[in-house]
Amino acid sequence: MENKIPGFLLEKPSSPPAMGRLRTSFIENGIHHVANIIKTGYIQWETASEDNFFQQIDARVKVLFLLFFVLIVSLKKDIVPEALIGVFVLILTLMARLDVISFYKRVLFFGFIFGFLIALPSAFNVITKGTIILPVLSLSRPHGFWIYRIPKEIGITREGAYGVAMLTLRVMDSLSISLFVLYTTPFPEIIKALKVLKVPDSFLMIITLAYKYIFIFAKTVEDMHLAIKGRLAGHISDSDARKWIAGRMAFIFKKTRLRCEEIFNAMLGRGFSGDVRIYRARRLRARDWITGAVLFMSGIIFLLI
Amino acid sequence: MEDMISLEGISFSYYNRIPALCDMSLGIKEGERFAIIGANGSGKSTLLQIMSGLIHQSEGKYFFKGREISEHALRDKGFLRFFRERVGYVFQDSDIQLFCPTVLDELLYGPMQLELKESEALDRAFEVMRILNIENLKDRPSYMLSGGEKKRVAIGSILTMNPEVLLLDEPTNGLDPRTQCFLVELMLALNDAGKTIVIATHDLSLVGELDAKVTVLSEDHRVVTTGRADDILKDESILLDVNLIHEHIHFHGKSSHSHLHSHYLFHRHKDRE
Repeated sequence: MENKIPGFLLEKPSSPPAMGRLRTSFIENGIHHVANIIKTGYIQWETASEDNFFQQIDARVKVLFLLFFVLIVSLKKDIVPEALIGVFVLILTLMARLDVISFYKRVLFFGFIFGFLIALPSAFNVITKGTIILPVLSLSRPHGFWIYRIPKEIGITREGAYGVAMLTLRVMDSLSISLFVLYTTPFPEIIKALKVLKVPDSFLMIITLAYKYIFIFAKTVEDMHLAIKGRLAGHISDSDARKWIAGRMAFIFKKTRLRCEEIFNAMLGRGFSGDVRIYRARRLRARDWITGAVLFMSGIIFLLI
Repeated sequence: MEDMISLEGISFSYYNRIPALCDMSLGIKEGERFAIIGANGSGKSTLLQIMSGLIHQSEGKYFFKGREISEHALRDKGFLRFFRERVGYVFQDSDIQLFCPTVLDELLYGPMQLELKESEALDRAFEVMRILNIENLKDRPSYMLSGGEKKRVAIGSILTMNPEVLLLDEPTNGLDPRTQCFLVELMLALNDAGKTIVIATHDLSLVGELDAKVTVLSEDHRVVTTGRADDILKDESILLDVNLIHEHIHFHGKSSHSHLHSHYLFHRHKDRE
């Protein structure tokens, strides 16, 4: 073999010229986001599997609590009960020993975008009629266009501001309840709990498989990035990066298709014949019943307020 | 002689939560054959990826030829080229490593990154194809190759960059005996040509065949010991501690008995010695 070693492999590499510093490519940024999927998934699984009170409660109780409270949130028409529900979820979050700061960072971020920003235009008297509490613009005369009428004085009305506050609170409450359940329940348990809502087993199986393979392929993408990084001696141009990404997308697609066939064969090999059967969940314990009853009673109180 | 690769108190954890390496220190000299052995999950691949500068330790220091390797240092274009030109990493999963349309493109990718002339890059690619016996695969896409062929192409894609150090993660995993034998011969020949060979494996027979210097990793991600292959492979207690050999029960005719079993030195029957 040694006689066959090519001459260039016996040479020492040349000394490199100095060429300045590299900037982070968009691939690298994208891959960091992919890696974050795995990290977030791991953290969700870790916090949801902790030995705290709410983490130990049966997932079915928590899924029913989620649905019941989201319904209450959308039925309430006053700010006070909405705010009280928010406080109630904060207390539950503290009891579950979740990281309150990162929890409410998410709630506030999505609440701001999907609640406040989306509803903000409706605060103006152009959309919601009422008493102006904050004048913004004064025109020389009112304008009319098709079915729309722009008044002379434009500003935020009391009724509009109230509506925006209500919608923002509703979004934040619904989000905090959903995240609370997600952070205190491992994802596979949530899926199984959906059985109480009579979601078909085959659908549950598809969600479970899809969730699992998101992580597997996210890991593959991360590894592929390391592979190209190991052979790059400089900066990769954006067009080369796009070519690489297109090639890797095709590869992932092929691999996914092959994996899909393998999984199906593995299922057939273990007796799959078209019907998906997920094992029956364990019976609810006294602790689950009591917690369920307390949460239900709290919901009734919020409904009556 | 000063260490070419020097790791001092290296620790690493995935997602800042799952520990993979704990306070590891080791040194590898130029031209050495070096094996990192340990059970699955002991941190072998992670250690190799840190050595290749693909991921970076959370604690400790890594020096290559006396220069510290860090994420910040590898942001310097000149230094990145200096490092990548000298250190090549062969992944355990060849599918991950092969991303070009054909085998020839695969072999040309590295030299083109090093800004070699096209003629020189082509010369390298053809010479590497010749020693790896893959000339007939030149125009094939990687998904039309067998496992052994993919491994050859993956090694070839690194060899065309002419690195001084070759880091190979589980190089013989899943390969047929003939390809395994070919790879061992290739590694020995490259080492004779002056290349430093570092492998991560749990295949003790490979370590024996390479007659490498060995570092043993424990399942709690620490360096247990470092020594010559002969001495380490004879030390049953260490190999048993790190789960590289195990008690094995099997039948001879109608009688069964148990002994330590490693598929290497310890598959011996005391009653027959």
